[in-house]
Amino acid sequence: MIELRNVSKYYNTGSVTETCVFNKFNLNIDKNEFVSVVGSNGSGKTTMLNIICGSIKVDRGDVFLDNKNITNVPEYKRMVKIGRVFQNPAFGTCPSLNIIENMALAENKNKSFDLKPLVDKNRVEKYKTMLKSLNLGLEDKCDINVGALSGGQRQAIALLMSTMIDIKFLILDEHTAALDPKTADVIMELTDKIVKEKNLTAIMVTHNLRYAVEYGNRLLMMHDGQIVIDVKNEEKKNLKVEDVLDKFTTISIECGN
Amino acid sequence: MRTKKILAIIISLSMFMSLSSCGKKSSKVEGEFRIGIGQFAEHPSLDNCREGFLLGLREEGFEQGKNVTFRIDNAQTDGGFASQIFDNYVNNNMDMIVAIATPMAQMAYSRAKDKNIPVIFTAVTDPVAAELADENGKPVGNITGTSDKLPVDLQLSLIHEMYPEAKRVGILYTTSEVNSISSIEEYKYYASSYGIDIITQGISDTSDMALACDNILNKVDVMTNVTDNTVVASLPVLLSKANEKNIPVFGSEIEQVKKGCIACMGLDYVELGKQTGRMAAKILKGEVEAKNLNYEIIESASLYVNSKVADNLNYIINQDIIDRANQVFDTIS
Amino acid sequence: MDAIELLKFYFITPQEIIGILTGVLREGLMYSVASLGVYITYKILDFPDMTVDSSFPLGMSITAILLILDVPPILTLCISFIAGALVGVITGIIHVKFGVRDLLSGIIVMTALYSINLRIAGRSNLPVFKKPTIFHLEYFNFLDRSMKTILILLVIVAICKILLDYYLKTKNGYLLRSVGDNEKLVTALAKDKGNVKIIGLAIANGFVAFAGSIFTHDRGFFEISAGTGTLVIAVSNVIIGMQIAKRIKCISDTTAVIIGSILYRACISIALSWGLEPRDLKLITASLLLIILVMNSIKRKNKVA
Repeated sequence: MIELRNVSKYYNTGSVTETCVFNKFNLNIDKNEFVSVVGSNGSGKTTMLNIICGSIKVDRGDVFLDNKNITNVPEYKRMVKIGRVFQNPAFGTCPSLNIIENMALAENKNKSFDLKPLVDKNRVEKYKTMLKSLNLGLEDKCDINVGALSGGQRQAIALLMSTMIDIKFLILDEHTAALDPKTADVIMELTDKIVKEKNLTAIMVTHNLRYAVEYGNRLLMMHDGQIVIDVKNEEKKNLKVEDVLDKFTTISIECGN
Repeated sequence: MRTKKILAIIISLSMFMSLSSCGKKSSKVEGEFRIGIGQFAEHPSLDNCREGFLLGLREEGFEQGKNVTFRIDNAQTDGGFASQIFDNYVNNNMDMIVAIATPMAQMAYSRAKDKNIPVIFTAVTDPVAAELADENGKPVGNITGTSDKLPVDLQLSLIHEMYPEAKRVGILYTTSEVNSISSIEEYKYYASSYGIDIITQGISDTSDMALACDNILNKVDVMTNVTDNTVVASLPVLLSKANEKNIPVFGSEIEQVKKGCIACMGLDYVELGKQTGRMAAKILKGEVEAKNLNYEIIESASLYVNSKVADNLNYIINQDIIDRANQVFDTIS
Repeated sequence: MDAIELLKFYFITPQEIIGILTGVLREGLMYSVASLGVYITYKILDFPDMTVDSSFPLGMSITAILLILDVPPILTLCISFIAGALVGVITGIIHVKFGVRDLLSGIIVMTALYSINLRIAGRSNLPVFKKPTIFHLEYFNFLDRSMKTILILLVIVAICKILLDYYLKTKNGYLLRSVGDNEKLVTALAKDKGNVKIIGLAIANGFVAFAGSIFTHDRGFFEISAGTGTLVIAVSNVIIGMQIAKRIKCISDTTAVIIGSILYRACISIALSWGLEPRDLKLITASLLLIILVMNSIKRKNKVA
């Protein structure tokens, strides 16, 4: 489980441009929840993910992961249990290495990076099987540097890599936003499959209301550092895109957008 | 593709040029000596040294185009160039290699060690410390030359002559410059016989200059310079501070006297070069081999005086000194 | 200047050609070791590491003093590597742990090391002419001295290349490659990217100090000014090498860097025999480098368009 307790976060503290993103923000995510998070720009969605992952520090409050207070644990140590996929497909892979090398790196996560050769020839077949399951024809492009692949292909590999070993949490930061609608659908399907197969606890920030409604078993809408909609399970199943859109529009009008 | 072509053109062009320049090259002529001269850097003293060397050889009848061909190279303080320059000489079986300044001399020695080409060095302050001569001043191989060690004793005697009552002589130096430190040791060695105390003040770089000047000028009667690059570079600071306190500053080279030091017993690098040239001539004539010829220290120092500086200090220079001076300057540049 | 021009004259013989070739090979091979180090920082880590200009003379000074103390020549190479690596760690710690900018942390260490190098050697110029060096080892004695030197250098460079190639294929090596490529991925792999950078800097400066050590063995003396410009030369070598690697697919990056180092020296030799004044060489080097870089960016633009 993931818990944010009384978290406060300010940007540009002490200057005239000081902005408060969160003031005593609380969030509780249970095991095996797949949470979609929607909200307007500047509502604090990405900041929330960054706080959970440790990319930014909180000003006050505590962050818990698996009942452990991780407020002061550095980002890279939190990654032992967390996998993360970014909006930018370039962030999830190493562009100058080929697909096999990238996957071998990901498979070695949480093991020692010692002076043994990285790529084990016997594992290559297994990687190819995994690639084949993506149906993107990547299994024939194993020797190509990832930098030469399309954004969708890279994002698919990034998703595969972040979930290659047993992690507990998956953080998806608008991971379909940079892709064309068709590829986005493919990646979204894949995400759902992986989350279900591996029993992951996942948080997905997205601007695509359809995905938010369609996938996952909990939906959060955020606005100005507050949670304005929080629906779960059965209630979520009955939720329609229109409902969310209505609420979204109301808030936007209130704000004068 | 296009860039590839351009690159190919550039490379082939440079190849062609380098080959075409070969055409100009003449091969060895009987009875003609080929001398390679490698200079460490472009610097007035080292340039003078080289010119002096050529003059010295000419005086002995060795002249470019007549019986000698020179190849002159400058390493621009780059060790890699220096190495290539001497490689080139060695591969060409030059009759003699001349190296100007310490690192150059060491490089020449390192490159020519296994061949029997005589190496002549000049402007090496301490050939023994540079392992170009053994403790007794004997050559370590087929190598000899001249040292540009400061004529410290003569400088002290000049200071004593001009300011007999001066008991405390100050020297500013940079702590990282080895030549300065060895010069100061030299000063301390000779100072006692004149009843003079040497007072030193170290600096680490130019920015310390002003503070160090203020400090040392309160403790001394006279200042003198060593060939310290950093101090010499910021000489104007020292001169203006010393002027305020009416303390004379003696230089270590002719250039410093031009800039406002009262006088110096300095090295004449042209003279040093000439002396080296005469040594080289002896070797070329076959009178002696480099390996049997000890290195030499310059036989005479030159006296330079600046009368304008003396006026500013209300000091009247003894006519005897004026008469002895190789050059008297009446302006400050 | 005219007088010097007149005095200048050239002659070329087969011996001279061989001489130039051996000279180019020797200097190129020696610099290639330093270039392998700079390849790690410049190309892999994307870190402009100024430390190089001082870890190079560090290797030189340590070797000079160790040879004087009669330490076996081969051992001086290893000790220099370790000392260089330590210096790289210091630069890394200043950058990573204290958050000082990459360029600045290198400059800080470089400045400090200047004094330390003077302290190690005791003076700014330290000859070791009387001591046996790696080039005096009793191998390959059937060859003449310059050939023997080149053969020994070839062996050393080959060992360095093979070790580096092997390292870059290990798990740790791949981690190093990804930190320069995509820091976020290293964090995602639950590894501290800072520590990986420190390791990279350590290996890089180890190689550079190792090269400095070879220089002392070859030259027979240490000179404090010798390090200045090492970074520029090595970066040039790496850039030329990368161009080669791009055009000729079948050679590895490390081989390309070695070839680049030799080519660079060859260019300088050509320029010198061309009758060029050494004083203009730095300008020529800079222009050459600029041409290569500009042509590359033009090419890239064409590709985009």
